[in-house]
Amino acid sequence: MSTWISNFYHRNGTALSIFLLLSVLFWVFILIVLPQLFMMDFSFRHNLPPADIGGAKDVYTLENYQYMIYGSAQSEGSYNTVDLTVFARTLIAAIFVTLFDLAICYPIAFYLAHSAYGGAARLMVLSLIVPFWVNEILRAFAFRIMFGATGVINNFLIWAGILDQPYDFIRNDVALYAGLGYAFILLMIFPIYNTVESLDRNQIEAARDLGSPWWRIHWRVVIPYAKPGITSGCTMVFMLTAGALAAPQILGGPSSLWFTQIIYQWFNTGNNWPQGSAYAIILLATCIAFVLIMMKVFKVKLGEIAR
Amino acid sequence: MRSETFLKISVGAFVAAFFAYLFGPLIIMSLTAFNSSQFPRVTPWECFSVEWFDVLINDAKLMNGLRNSLVIGFGVILIAVPMGMAGALMLTQVGRRVRPWYYTIVISPILVPGVVLGISTLIFWDRMGRMFNAGYDSIFYDGIFLTILGQATFISAYAMLVFIARLQRFDPAQEEAALDLGATHVQTFRKVLLPFMKPAIGSAAVLAFLASFENYNTTVFTILSDETLTTVLASKVRYGINPSISALAVIIVSLTLVGAVVYEILKRREQAAAKESELVARGKVEKRRRQSPLFLDPAMIVAVLVFIAGTGTVYFAGTIGLEECKAAVLAEKRAKTERAIKERQTKEMFRQAAPTTPDPYAPAVEEAPKVEAKGTEGYRSIFAPSTLEGMAGQESEEQKENVEAKGTEGYRSIFDPGNLKGQAGTEEKKP
Repeated sequence: MSTWISNFYHRNGTALSIFLLLSVLFWVFILIVLPQLFMMDFSFRHNLPPADIGGAKDVYTLENYQYMIYGSAQSEGSYNTVDLTVFARTLIAAIFVTLFDLAICYPIAFYLAHSAYGGAARLMVLSLIVPFWVNEILRAFAFRIMFGATGVINNFLIWAGILDQPYDFIRNDVALYAGLGYAFILLMIFPIYNTVESLDRNQIEAARDLGSPWWRIHWRVVIPYAKPGITSGCTMVFMLTAGALAAPQILGGPSSLWFTQIIYQWFNTGNNWPQGSAYAIILLATCIAFVLIMMKVFKVKLGEIAR
Repeated sequence: MRSETFLKISVGAFVAAFFAYLFGPLIIMSLTAFNSSQFPRVTPWECFSVEWFDVLINDAKLMNGLRNSLVIGFGVILIAVPMGMAGALMLTQVGRRVRPWYYTIVISPILVPGVVLGISTLIFWDRMGRMFNAGYDSIFYDGIFLTILGQATFISAYAMLVFIARLQRFDPAQEEAALDLGATHVQTFRKVLLPFMKPAIGSAAVLAFLASFENYNTTVFTILSDETLTTVLASKVRYGINPSISALAVIIVSLTLVGAVVYEILKRREQAAAKESELVARGKVEKRRRQSPLFLDPAMIVAVLVFIAGTGTVYFAGTIGLEECKAAVLAEKRAKTERAIKERQTKEMFRQAAPTTPDPYAPAVEEAPKVEAKGTEGYRSIFAPSTLEGMAGQESEEQKENVEAKGTEGYRSIFDPGNLKGQAGTEEKKP
């Protein structure tokens, strides 16, 4: 350790050493590690008025986590069905949104990497990026306009005679899923594109020459090769969907909640920060577990996921 | 062969459908900004107008949010870019056993949900403030300061990835050569490494600004009683929507397109320059003196002219004859309403006159919900322009209330009190 420090000092000189060490220590401890630990600590405490914090009543408790499972202490024996349902629905919906994005992005990524050339390919990449420079809120707003009761889609369906009453896309969460799928397309396409692009075309040619139909080429050659990209894209999309707040707030129906919205409410109107912290920890733990499972099942490294 | 063409056509259709999904919502949203209708919609089209841009610019709350967003954006650049660079340089220097741990820690903010980052920042600084017995007006409870730190947590990781990619192409021999030739460490850093990193610094700064500017999940927790553009937008979109937000979207989309065009032109020039230098090196052509400056580039001039002409045309088309058109639409609506009323009256008369009706109150009861529905539906009803105005008035009152509540409740109620309704709903459902 001390040899490392002297080497480090020798290699960088005084000013640079101090800059590097201070920046990295500040980032790692003050911004990343300590806030998470404080949040963890906070989630095990009672919700006390400011005067009591640090006093005799400020002891550790599991009640915030118990609340997630059993609801308030009065209703013992029964489960907190509202929050548990929201939690489960958030995860299941996030999985479906991820699969939907994978299904529409894989062909596009493959097409971009192997069928489009030169200017056309560059134009396509540019036009993929442009919508994602537009604010997340505005994107959700666009979906709200489209799917509204007098929106373009309803008007078209009525005009075409498919519907005679406007269909409430927002109440039925269609708008929400379409908007969430839309929001993270780019994060699915680019990892897949990056891996597929480096695939040697000769491998595809060889498979074709040996008489393989196109779907088997994809199944046996392209997809195994693109696995790190697919894993990376799926992980990012799942995490961002499960942790999304803006789209569910704007596009969610009045009766449907996203798990992040419950967290938001504990902080905002519920005024119960420890409870909110406990829920945030649950969300964080779920996401960590998901990443670990993805890394284990698909045998990729963390560095390949976060790119 | 036939299956080949079929495959090609279906691939083409798929690509087309994909891009329709990508651009359709943005195009429709942009169109609604130019419709004079009080509610953002394309059909029925009323008048082509640019008045929503006026509404947008005169929106003090939104402009205040924009100012805060810009301040935060630059703050994040100032913190995240140096920190990301330090993180990347550190990665090349830490020991082999520490490296995976170090990398996992600094990359984790990208994978951690934004809300969790916001909450942890909020709690950490709240506890710090309490530890130092700081008042609520101190820096520990300053929304802009907290937001800069909260966003820098993960944006530094983005910046670091940009720097890592650039550093992979760096030849350490350059640094060693400089040191051998007697340069000090600081000189080597400034004269060798920094110039090499310059393009990466630029792109990291742009990336950091954009990421900060559009962030919502972290900001909404750390901003406390202040507002950024995204939080103002979110509360506006949730509590009633009007086309001035579409107007903002038009501005952002056009800025994005301008950025994309400039980027494309720069890229082309770079390629042209590379090609030319290659030809010069082979001795095939004479070296030209210099490339013309960017603003004299023909492509750039065309782009600027198109932009100015487009904006001008839209502006004039949206102001000339707007009042007449609006008056005409209003008159049409009135006529329609009157016709509807008359129709109903005649129906009523027929019914009352009809001897088959045993109870004269029955039709009235039947009629009542319909009338009521029209009143409450508000924006859905195209027959009642007056209802729309009523709605708009209500909305602004609600917003005023929000502001007042924020002022009095102190820093804990930072978040929009309007969410109360949703909360009450869930509380009721809980056993």
